[in-house]
Amino acid sequence: MSESIIPESELEEVELYHPKSWWTEKVFSQDAKLIAIQYGLTAFAIGFVALVLSWFMRIQIAFPEMAIISEGTYYQFITMHGMIMVVYLLTALFLGAFGNYLIPLMVGARDMVFPYLNMVSYWTYLVAVLVLFVSFFTPGGPTGAGWTLYPPQAILGGTPGQETGIVLMLVSLCIFIVGFTMGGLNYVITVLQARTRGMTLMRMPLTVWGIFTATVLALFAFPALFVSAVMMLFDKLLMTSFFMPALVEFGENLSYGGGSPILFQHLFWFFGHPEVYIVALPAFGIVSDLISIHARKNIFGFRMMVWAIVGIGALSFIVWAHHMYVSGMNPYFGFFFATTTLIIAVPTALKVYNWILTLWKGNIHLTIPMLFCLGFIVTFLNGGLTGLFLGNVIVDVPLSDTYFVVAHFHMVMGIAPVLVILGAIYHWYPLITGKMLHDGMGRFHFWITFVGSYLIYFPMHYLGFIGVPRRYYEMGQTEALYTSSAADLNVFITIAALAVGFAQLVFIYNVFWSAKNGKVAEKNPWKSTSLEWQTPEQPPIHGNFGKELPVVYRWAYDYSVPGAEDDFIPQDVPNEKVKLAEGYKELGVEKT
Amino acid sequence: MSIFSILSQKPWTSDQAKIDDKHSGKSSSMPLPRVALYVSMIVMGVLFTLFSVAYIGRMAYGDWRVLPEPPLLWFNSLVILMSSFAFHKATLSLKENNNRRTREYLFLAGALTLGFITGQLFVWRELVSFGYFVSTNPSYAFFYLLTALHILHLLGGLIAWLFVVYKSFTAEDESSNFRLSVNLCAIYWHFLLIVWLILFTMLLLT
Ligand code: HEM
Ligand SMILES: [Cu+2]
Repeated sequence: MSESIIPESELEEVELYHPKSWWTEKVFSQDAKLIAIQYGLTAFAIGFVALVLSWFMRIQIAFPEMAIISEGTYYQFITMHGMIMVVYLLTALFLGAFGNYLIPLMVGARDMVFPYLNMVSYWTYLVAVLVLFVSFFTPGGPTGAGWTLYPPQAILGGTPGQETGIVLMLVSLCIFIVGFTMGGLNYVITVLQARTRGMTLMRMPLTVWGIFTATVLALFAFPALFVSAVMMLFDKLLMTSFFMPALVEFGENLSYGGGSPILFQHLFWFFGHPEVYIVALPAFGIVSDLISIHARKNIFGFRMMVWAIVGIGALSFIVWAHHMYVSGMNPYFGFFFATTTLIIAVPTALKVYNWILTLWKGNIHLTIPMLFCLGFIVTFLNGGLTGLFLGNVIVDVPLSDTYFVVAHFHMVMGIAPVLVILGAIYHWYPLITGKMLHDGMGRFHFWITFVGSYLIYFPMHYLGFIGVPRRYYEMGQTEALYTSSAADLNVFITIAALAVGFAQLVFIYNVFWSAKNGKVAEKNPWKSTSLEWQTPEQPPIHGNFGKELPVVYRWAYDYSVPGAEDDFIPQDVPNEKVKLAEGYKELGVEKT
Repeated sequence: MSIFSILSQKPWTSDQAKIDDKHSGKSSSMPLPRVALYVSMIVMGVLFTLFSVAYIGRMAYGDWRVLPEPPLLWFNSLVILMSSFAFHKATLSLKENNNRRTREYLFLAGALTLGFITGQLFVWRELVSFGYFVSTNPSYAFFYLLTALHILHLLGGLIAWLFVVYKSFTAEDESSNFRLSVNLCAIYWHFLLIVWLILFTMLLLT
């Protein structure tokens, strides 16, 4: 038996903050777990708004003669839907909610390193959400500039919401970024400096690797959005001409002149592309862990998985201009960005192979989290492949601004990460609430969501091929250009979208119903090795771990280790303490 | 340990496990506030860099006009340089355990910083009185924007400075916490000095 000498804890036990009143315990809490839940609920609340907006848009597209919303409203709904989904829902959920809940628990810390800052981060986020939401009720309504907010149209008359909507949008984004940065500092420094003894970086679960790398990306990318938002605010409010060229509006010369809308596009996409990976990397990490746990097998190619996460993160900063192929850029420039875009597909494809190889000959349990992971792989693969189409300049030019693009990005960064989030909630719900989510409702939710999403987005590729443009509230006269199947397809897609929407209502009901009436979860119900399930209490209480922090003896993927009686060995169990299976005298060594 | 050697570890092997079991769990022995300052400075660096890139990008367009350089700017630069130097002196006196001297330098640094900010506001007034408004030309707009952003960062620093000055009255002489705070403030001021010098050079180059 090897004896392991464990160093004295170098981290002096930090004084935990102890709330003194109901307010500081339950509302202005500094406990990362509660902050995570606050982040999660807020994100879901505003995300629900975005979902409802999509129903209106879908009904309008399918039944234009009903005219349920006007063309201006349609623009406003697209914009709010897109921005909320990408920034206020997905980013906040992955980093704010999952980051806060999982990082301290998974690395063996009692809390984030700066709990107070962490609390301020959430309340700042809430303010950002409220500012955005208020724009629905201001004169002129929310902005209809498209989620990309391209100037000059974003701030000119004629674009809905140019009165106050656009200002509130930009201000809200700035507030969001400030709040995120406070949280981001916490996530990064907690991972670097507050891990427990024995937890080397390479022993961290891939979930933490994904969230950590995504946070680093966000700290580099969000400043670009901040810069463009501030400069556009100047253009709007102080009549500067950072982005605004000379313009004539209704026969009148505007005082703008000389600015460059393309400059905005560069700044925006320098943020916008990494943003895709800010959402995707945590999803990659979580999916890797869920697949490994629910297939009772160690993740295939662990190191490659880490390298791919880091590599994708780095590469994601040099591909941004593939969103600007039709902006009239220099062809050599386009060639460069097409090349980098295709290169980034390599580590991405590698991850997909590794997931599949992990499943290969695994002991696959078709639990709900596993179902969502399988759904993710198929969806992400689909979206990734269409990305290769759009990454090539000549293929992109005719497909640009068609429904092909809508199909691509919903597959790859809409549906795929959402499937992961849902799977992750089914997986960690027992840890958070101590109850299991209702299985029947869960399976119903999965199948409708997965199959339904496919039925929504798969036909859109075809719509794109025949040239149906995106961001049109109806096809109108142009309908004659397309086969009548386009109109029929639109009806079909809308029905699927409403079904998927309904399934989410079932999910929400399930979440609240199970919190009260769900089956009490046994301890560590999925038999997972990572530290968050090894806390003395489930759900973990303030301070996470009991009197002493756990000590880590292994990586997070010791599943089905030959020689061990159980098919998993938690990270905080030393070799000496592993119960051996019959016929073994040591892990991996059979008795002779 | 370099990032590459970390990434090449094989955490599942028993040889690596022997090494890993002894790991303290920290990636660096620096105290938390120092790590926090460094990470924040990186983020601020990115922010200023992106603004500068936008500045240089925008400069390339035809309507760009050369910014007049009020001589006051040179004077202000000298002031902020001196405030940075005062912070440096404060850390030196700290090493000699001369708390009174440290505090004096802290006050000096703060006063000079306030002087710099006031000076910048005077530059603004001067430009406005010449009729150079934000909306007149992007080069002026950038000037106002960048200087304002820089001032905001200094104001943030001054909040930290207030805490440090407060500590200098209450903390024990040998308190390592106090030493650390003074050192970190000094580093932040040097950082903002460098940012200013880069911005100033860029403004001169228009
Ligand atoms: C089943 C759920 C969803 C439905 C039914 C849906 C539907 C739509 C529709 C109808 C549009 C407008 C298309 C157009 O006219 O061009 C749209 C745009 C968009 N959606 Fe979704 N969506 C859903 C989920 C998501 C999710 C999860 C994301 C997160 C990334 C997302 C991100 C976007 C973005 C970024 C746009 C583009 C907005 C723009 O053009 O400015 N959507 N969606
Ligand atoms: Cu991209």
